[in-house]
Amino acid sequence: MHHEFKFGGEKYEITIAKDGQTWLLGDYTASVCDDGRVLVISPDGSTKFAHSAKVGDTWWIHYAGHTFCLEKTEPGSQDNDSDQGMTAPMPGKILEVKVKDGQSVEAGELLLVMEAMKMEHRIVAPKSGKISKISFSVGDQVQQGDTLVEMAD
Amino acid sequence: MLTGKLDRGGEMIRTVLVANRGEIACRILRACSEAGLTSVAVYADNDAGSMFTELATIAVPLEGDTIAETYLNQEQILAIAGAHNVDAIHPGFGFLSERADFAQAVTDAGINWIGPSPQAIEMMGDKMTARLTMKAAGVPVIPGEEIASEDEETMISDIVEASQRVGYPLLLKASSGGGGKGMRKVEDPADLIDAIKGARREAIAAFGDGRVYVERLLTGSKHVEIQILADKHGRTVHLGERECSVQRRHQKVFEESPCPVMTEGLRSRMGEAAVMAAEAVDYVGAGTVEFLLASNGEFFFLEMNTRIQVEHPVTEMVTGVDLVREQLRIAAGEPMSCGELMLRGHSIEVRLYAEDASNNFLPAIGPLVVFRPPSGPGIRLDTGVREGDMVTPNYDPMLAKLIVWAPSREEALQRMRRALDEFVVLGTTTNLRFLRELCDQRDVISGRTDTMLIERVWPNGWQPDFPESTLNAALIVAAVSESAGLNKTKLMQTESIDGLVSPFQTLNRRYP
Repeated sequence: MHHEFKFGGEKYEITIAKDGQTWLLGDYTASVCDDGRVLVISPDGSTKFAHSAKVGDTWWIHYAGHTFCLEKTEPGSQDNDSDQGMTAPMPGKILEVKVKDGQSVEAGELLLVMEAMKMEHRIVAPKSGKISKISFSVGDQVQQGDTLVEMAD
Repeated sequence: MLTGKLDRGGEMIRTVLVANRGEIACRILRACSEAGLTSVAVYADNDAGSMFTELATIAVPLEGDTIAETYLNQEQILAIAGAHNVDAIHPGFGFLSERADFAQAVTDAGINWIGPSPQAIEMMGDKMTARLTMKAAGVPVIPGEEIASEDEETMISDIVEASQRVGYPLLLKASSGGGGKGMRKVEDPADLIDAIKGARREAIAAFGDGRVYVERLLTGSKHVEIQILADKHGRTVHLGERECSVQRRHQKVFEESPCPVMTEGLRSRMGEAAVMAAEAVDYVGAGTVEFLLASNGEFFFLEMNTRIQVEHPVTEMVTGVDLVREQLRIAAGEPMSCGELMLRGHSIEVRLYAEDASNNFLPAIGPLVVFRPPSGPGIRLDTGVREGDMVTPNYDPMLAKLIVWAPSREEALQRMRRALDEFVVLGTTTNLRFLRELCDQRDVISGRTDTMLIERVWPNGWQPDFPESTLNAALIVAAVSESAGLNKTKLMQTESIDGLVSPFQTLNRRYP
């Protein structure tokens, strides 16, 4: 079976084959345990149990003390998160807006300050460009994922 | 409680209300249960079904939406205490724990306050007053200046003036501060005014008090604190030290006892200073005197926390004293039960936060779809959450504390690495891997930890370090999980086994 995952901005294509109760990929073999864990046998013969859980489109994998978030993408799909806006990392309140509509900003410049979980968070420009839209003003409550500022190149 | 001593001054405790939530509420409620006491938990609507509500004899909902209307609502909590014949209130840490007015209101209501007197809380809670009290008691304080002004303009000019005497780098601290809130490090005089405004604003938002003072930032020093216990029979003792130098955003993440560079002589000098500090305010109960320990062995009073602390378990592990149980005992008017200080082995605690360590430790939220803590010899988990819970943005992102004990520091670190490798949390981003890599740092291994360690080791922020082969294996696991339909199997199994609504279903609906 063929799958595509996104991790750290990169795409990974995986094709695994099934042989009885075992899945094969190159020199790795894997099988699903009764309790839902996945047993992985590495090319060097070592065995490890992995945990997996899917939340939305993302597979959360725990393997050998590491946790990975692998986003399942449809094969051949286009990358459509070339979103030019900056989004709220979590729900909170806007404390300060440092820029104006139409203003040119440098990458790393402070755009606004928001408060969430009693801490202040600084939202900075991910790149240089011109502010094309500011969606909130001081005192507004924002939800996680809300686009706070949009930029044009 | 010892039944023979119940008549002392009418201080008998039968029912304890825990005015807190999460992990520390669980810790205290369990201690109440062990002591055979009836316990009352209070909880906000968004905490309904939380682990701590299940550990109490009775759980009473708080009305209101905001923290001010619920966990900080003194009248409402006192009304619940009255309605349930509560004899004592344990405030835990945070929330109302260091509010002298609440301690007073509790006492006025004829209820036993599990903590020091309102006067002691007030003197230590206001950081500027505490500095002055300690100077008077002969306890060394950090070079710095108290700032009396409260309005923004005067404060700015007073601090700018003081900064020239204090010198750079300096720290701005909120007088009512704690947990790194209202604190700013200033290295460049050009940043001072912005930093004052930021610290003042954060302090007003968090504590309703915008007063800020200045201290010299002592770089390269260790954060070492002394646990003290004082009973109502005139006995005040110290229980050795904890080192909590490793901090991010001024919040501790890695704590241990004993401090790796401690000597018998230094311990007794610091212990004596801590006992002096406590006695200066007629302290009762469990408290912590925090010091900065410079590399030359000089130490300076930082502040006193007039409550149980997050990192109290490491002291419990090496002293064998149950601090929360002692708090209950002392509040009931009994003498503390611990004898002479005996330290045994080494203990380390790490704090499990729902946060993205690779993105400036930004708090994270989400479902705890899988939550499998480690087990085995020498491992203790103090948690406020369990599998299936949601991590929400409503409260502090600390989920749990993982504590290990071993005969030596080296073995404690080895045990912590093993425990962190076993710990599985899926569905919410946590700092688990960051903590695990912290245990491999040369300065952590050698004990050369100081308050700048994280910034020094990862000046450009932390990124996980993993071998290519590990990512490959993870990708295979994801592919197998997807192909085998593991997410669906999980739901079906839960449904068919008990016929109840699976918590995962709800999670899937809320996180499509």
